[in-house]
Amino acid sequence: MLVAVCVGVLATGLACRYVQSNAPTSATTKELPPLPGQPAGVFTTARPTFGAAVNDFLNRRPDAQQPIEFPHNTHVGKGVMCEFCHEGVDKGPVAGIPGLRTCMICHDAIATDRPRIQQMAAMRDKGIDLAWQRVYGFANEDHVKFNHAPHIRAKVECSTCHGNVAQQTVAQRNVEHTMGFCVNCHNERKASIDCLTCHF
Amino acid sequence: MDRRSFIKLTAVTGTSAALASCGNPENQIIRFLPGEDIVPGVAVWKPGVCPLCRAGCGLTVRVMDADADVLRNGQAGVVRVSAAKKLEGAPEHPVNSGGLCPRGQAGIQITYHPDRVTQPLKRSGSRGDGRYDAISWDDAIGEVVSRLNALEAAGNQKSLACLARGGANHRDVLIRQFLARFGAPMPVTYELFGDEVLRRANALSFGREQLPTFDLANARHVLSFGADLLGTWNSPVAQSVGYGQMRRGRPGIRGSFVQVESRMSQTGANADEWVPIRPGTEGVLAMGLAHLIMAEKLLPVPSASSAVRLLAGWNEGLADYSPQRVEEITGVPAVRLARLARRFVEGSPAVAIAAGPALAHTNGIFTALAVNALNTLAGNIDRPGGISFTPQLDVAAAVKAPAPGAPPAPALAQWSAALASGSMTEVLFVDGANPVFTAPPAWRVRDGLDKVAYIVSFGSFLDETSVMADLILPDHSFLESWMEAVPESGAHTSVASVAPAVMRPLYDTRAMPDLLLDIGSRLQRPLELPWKSFEEMLAASFGALPPATPDVDAWTDAQGKGMWSGTLPAALARQSIVAANAPAVAQTYEEPRFDGEASEYPFHFLPYPSSTFFDGSLAHLPWLQEMPDPMTSAMWSSWIEINPRTAAKLGLGEGDVVEIASTQGAIRGPVVITPGIAPDVVAMPVGQGHRFFTRYASGRGANPMEIVAPLAEPVTGALAWAATRVRVSRVGPPDGRLILFAGGMREHVEQER
Repeated sequence: MLVAVCVGVLATGLACRYVQSNAPTSATTKELPPLPGQPAGVFTTARPTFGAAVNDFLNRRPDAQQPIEFPHNTHVGKGVMCEFCHEGVDKGPVAGIPGLRTCMICHDAIATDRPRIQQMAAMRDKGIDLAWQRVYGFANEDHVKFNHAPHIRAKVECSTCHGNVAQQTVAQRNVEHTMGFCVNCHNERKASIDCLTCHF
Repeated sequence: MDRRSFIKLTAVTGTSAALASCGNPENQIIRFLPGEDIVPGVAVWKPGVCPLCRAGCGLTVRVMDADADVLRNGQAGVVRVSAAKKLEGAPEHPVNSGGLCPRGQAGIQITYHPDRVTQPLKRSGSRGDGRYDAISWDDAIGEVVSRLNALEAAGNQKSLACLARGGANHRDVLIRQFLARFGAPMPVTYELFGDEVLRRANALSFGREQLPTFDLANARHVLSFGADLLGTWNSPVAQSVGYGQMRRGRPGIRGSFVQVESRMSQTGANADEWVPIRPGTEGVLAMGLAHLIMAEKLLPVPSASSAVRLLAGWNEGLADYSPQRVEEITGVPAVRLARLARRFVEGSPAVAIAAGPALAHTNGIFTALAVNALNTLAGNIDRPGGISFTPQLDVAAAVKAPAPGAPPAPALAQWSAALASGSMTEVLFVDGANPVFTAPPAWRVRDGLDKVAYIVSFGSFLDETSVMADLILPDHSFLESWMEAVPESGAHTSVASVAPAVMRPLYDTRAMPDLLLDIGSRLQRPLELPWKSFEEMLAASFGALPPATPDVDAWTDAQGKGMWSGTLPAALARQSIVAANAPAVAQTYEEPRFDGEASEYPFHFLPYPSSTFFDGSLAHLPWLQEMPDPMTSAMWSSWIEINPRTAAKLGLGEGDVVEIASTQGAIRGPVVITPGIAPDVVAMPVGQGHRFFTRYASGRGANPMEIVAPLAEPVTGALAWAATRVRVSRVGPPDGRLILFAGGMREHVEQER
């Protein structure tokens, strides 16, 4: 019996995705044929699958799968500063994950014999960008707003929150951004711990 | 359920959910290289211009990075773009002073609408069934050019016509230039709630064929005859700002407000006193007030002004409009009339406004002239707290492209009648107008369009008119292209708005003005329009204006601020066109004519502009569909407003489905019972009942224009849209088609149980 209930729950959850507004419409409604070139989906806040909704609800995020095994260690080792590529970091809330154009600023000239770099140049010529996935970031449900720029102005080291990237290839989430983590640092540095500093 | 089975259930559900969420890789997304430099997470506010009505409000648009779904070389993917995310009113704009109405706020959904036309389309099915194939821009433009070349070769240039929104802006001047240089007649313009009657009356009374600007902020009393000045009429944001000032912007002074109408509008609900009146008799009330004021010598009587000479019996003190006679005609008691007159005099400066249903009768011009005379009597013209006319930029003069000498366009009614009887329009351009939806059925616009050999639409959506098109050349959205407006009213100084695109086009669309210029240059005999692009035309126009800021030229300044405002040189001000068929004799009140015998059709039918969809052109925006109507709380539906006494007589309950029939046809809808309507009037908002207008509006509700009779105001030829009579009959009990805002709906359901 219980299994039947559970299957029912799941089936309902799946079915809900397909149910449109139940507002009554008159009999004159004609199904409009789709026009060429129209976007397939409508933006909604719904999740694409029931599983995605469950993961979202439980605040479970899969590990980021990056398109290439970007070597942070090599770049940091060569003395490239973080903000050279993450150029939004001192300008606003988001540091930004650099696009292929940023890579090619240097790699049009540097290490052009490497197959990976040649592959990237080919992608650029086809107009395709690297589809990076985010490693850090808060869920909407956390109701927290983070802004990079004031932290950079306060001379907080990038590694304080992002770990020692110089020893990583693709970035790993090895610092947990809990509220305690934030508040400890704010206390040590005598930064505001007013709720509205972060929750607004 | 006991504790044990609850725990079991939780465990099993949790496990199933966890299993269901496994093995669910996110789709591998193709990401395209962005075309612009974007700082992520940082918002920029850019100027814009709201195109949704003629008011021409200035916008400030929040622009930020976003991922957009795009199709490139047949491959679907996402690209980082800087995208408009929020529209607000521009704080420094002389028209809207930072305000923006709900329709403007919802305008952001136009750009991201899922049913937008994203590329040129060529008809593949039969006319009107909405089947289209993709076509490239080169082929599409080639088709238009060859059609126009064929007309030229046959010496048949007069067979090109254009159906447009009108308005004295740059786009309109460009269309006129294109048509004139090709040898075609001027564009046919049509707006359902178009105010031609008031413009003509102002031309007769004051020599200005223009909508007036009211200085509500400095008025102490406002007497409005049917004008929905806070909701939909003229420049509602400017008027709302002024109204707020009048009511509570001056310490110790609270202006008073009286609304005269037969159905309580959103504006009427704000009034101190609501005066119900018989439809079409508002002018008599205005004359009655003038009579009392003159008889009791409450104000000095002007006699030299043309505004008062237009009314018969003015010099005799309007003896025909005694309080008793006014009571007989209007149904407003003589005692109340006396009180209104006293209020009007004591509240100086007091301003009278007539618009909307009051002027949508066969005697509309008399009503407008009567109210103009009342304002003249009160000394309101060009004084603080009164009426003025905004000096309006003459775009044709500014761009040094004088008004072409081509014959004026016929009115829509005559044009479509000529088409239906086989006149010779072969190629038709449609720019934004949707007369198939908003014109009365007797004009047979759809039948007329069916006779046109080739129709080209520049619309961004398929609506009832553009679905007739053979070729659709979609325009950019208003956030993706140059926008401009030359407001006719709403500001006390001259103002012209202009703004560059705030974001790049999302789709394969082209700006209509640029496309016209392109087509003009590709013709066999190039039209040699004086500009290479619309931007060049705007630069020429704004470059001709005096600088508004010292040391900065007007064009640069205007682009940064989103508008130019200042003192207009006389040579660039729009001159009034002297009304050709001015009435030779002084006007007297004539009874309004109504379509349908009172015995068979006992009710007056009032289709009124919807506070959300205006004339129906915004019904495709879901935010507006779900916005409860301020008077009834209805949403996502059509409804018919009926007085409780009438409802009791007809045995109608809230939500009952009724049929309303006129001589033109019948429509059905649910009843909303409201005391804010005269017992012999039934009202219905215009805007729903689209047959073809995106997934959100199609097939929803009923279109009241389908039963409106083609009576016209004789001087202007404008549709008298409030002059139809109807009968009402019950069809059945509530069937759920009336959707009220949650609270109301719940109460209603409980009553039914």
